[in-house]
Formats: sequence, structure tokens, C-alpha cells
Amino acid sequence: MYIGAVFVIIRGMTFEALIFTFSILGISETVYLIKKRILSEKPVCPVNEDCTKVLSSKYNKLFLIPNDVLGLIFYIVCSLIAAFLVIIVQPLSLWYILLSVLVLVGSIISMYFTYLQFNVIRAWCFWCLMSACTIWLMGVTILLNNIL
Amino acid sequence: MKTASYHILRVGMAITFIWIGILIIKSPESWGGYVQPWVTNFLPLPLEQIMIGTAIFDIVIGILFLVDWQVWVAGLLAALHLLTVLIVSGITDITVRDIGLLAATLVLMLDDLPIKIKKNNHE
Repeated sequence: MYIGAVFVIIRGMTFEALIFTFSILGISETVYLIKKRILSEKPVCPVNEDCTKVLSSKYNKLFLIPNDVLGLIFYIVCSLIAAFLVIIVQPLSLWYILLSVLVLVGSIISMYFTYLQFNVIRAWCFWCLMSACTIWLMGVTILLNNIL
Repeated sequence: MKTASYHILRVGMAITFIWIGILIIKSPESWGGYVQPWVTNFLPLPLEQIMIGTAIFDIVIGILFLVDWQVWVAGLLAALHLLTVLIVSGITDITVRDIGLLAATLVLMLDDLPIKIKKNNHE
């Protein structure tokens, strides 16, 4: 019964709606972090962990670009692809493959960052974990869309 | 500092407005069907073009909500837009949803009003 319910939820335009919603959540998270970084303010850390320790660590950049900026670009591209899939901008299959590849790469990078927090920096950043969960949920959505 | 509830409402409204904008771009003629016949007589442009303009307007409002910039302006525009929607689409089964959205946009507008305006209101 549950599989049937998931099937109903994930089918049709709901797939694009979920990807879009997760992308927008990601944009709001990354925009918040970018703003705080530019203003040199400490972000709110709801789980009482040391977000600043993670955000100011030497791992806060990838290819010389701050992780929050990379994340923002990633989420904007994903939301645009979701919009293209809804509006039916051809070639749909290319957009779908591009989205899948992006989310796969994003998921792997998020796993790496989560490992860094757990084992190297030894501190947790709420916003980084939120972003990782958002990308993983996008991955689960794509997987379910392929399976069902 | 803004509360978490404010940010949850802001991002939620951003998703709603941008998503509606995308759906209207997908099929402007279907969404134009919600417009009452008497309104179409007053339109300076074809209904489809008006709907595309509405979609872009919705997306711009949604982006302002999303990036947390000039939220009070976006809230004001969104409230006026929803009032217009209530007028041009008439009272239907889904009117209650628009009233809820209208209330939410007013909350965002009032919460993000510049301090100057807030002070003037208190005096």
C-alpha cells in the first residue's frame, strides 16, 4: 500500500514539483550563508553546534570557489531544469540526464563534506547538513521516479 | 532579528509564487480560464499575453521573497496581486486558499516594513 502511495505521489508533475521545492529550499539556505559570510556575521546554529568552525575551516572552498556559492549555482541550475521539464522545453531527455548527473555528483560531494565534519573538522554545521539532506532527498526523488 | 517562523513563511511563499508562475507559463490559456468573462472586455492586450505577464510578475515576487530582499515591497505587490485575483476570478471553491495566501503576504509585508514606516505608524 505504501509503495502504491509513493507511486501516486512521485508520478506526473509531482516529480518536478519535488525537485523544484528542494532546489528552492537549497537556494534559501545558500543565500543565507552567503549573506552571513559577506556581512561577516555568525549564522544561527539551531543545534548548538559550532557552525562557524566548519564554515571557516580550510575545506570551505572547492576549486577556489566558496562552497556556498557552488551550492547556490547547483540549486539554481536544478530549479531551472525542473522548470524546463514542466514547461516542456526540449530536449527533455537531455535535461533529465543532466539533472540526474548533477544530483549524483552533488550527493557524492555532500557525503564527502559530511565525512569531513564528522571525522576531520569534528564539528557539525546545521546549514551544511540541511543542504546535504536536501541534495540526498533530490537523489531519492530521482531514484523513485526511475524505479516506479 | 527575524524569527524562524518568518523565514519559513517567506520561503514557503517563494515556492508558491515561483511555482505558480512556471505553471502559468506552461499553459497560460488554461489559467486564463479562471478570469471572469466581464474582465476580458477591459483587457488592453490578449488574455494569453496578460497571463504570461502575470506569470513573470509572480516569479519576480517569488524571487524577492526567496532572496530576502525588499520583502515588504514583494509582500505589498503580492497582496495587491491577490486582491486583483480575487476580483477577476470571482468567488469560487478555491477562494479561501487565496484569502489564506493574502493573509500570509500581508504578514510578510508588515514584518519587513522599514523601521521608519514602523515608527511613523506607532507615533
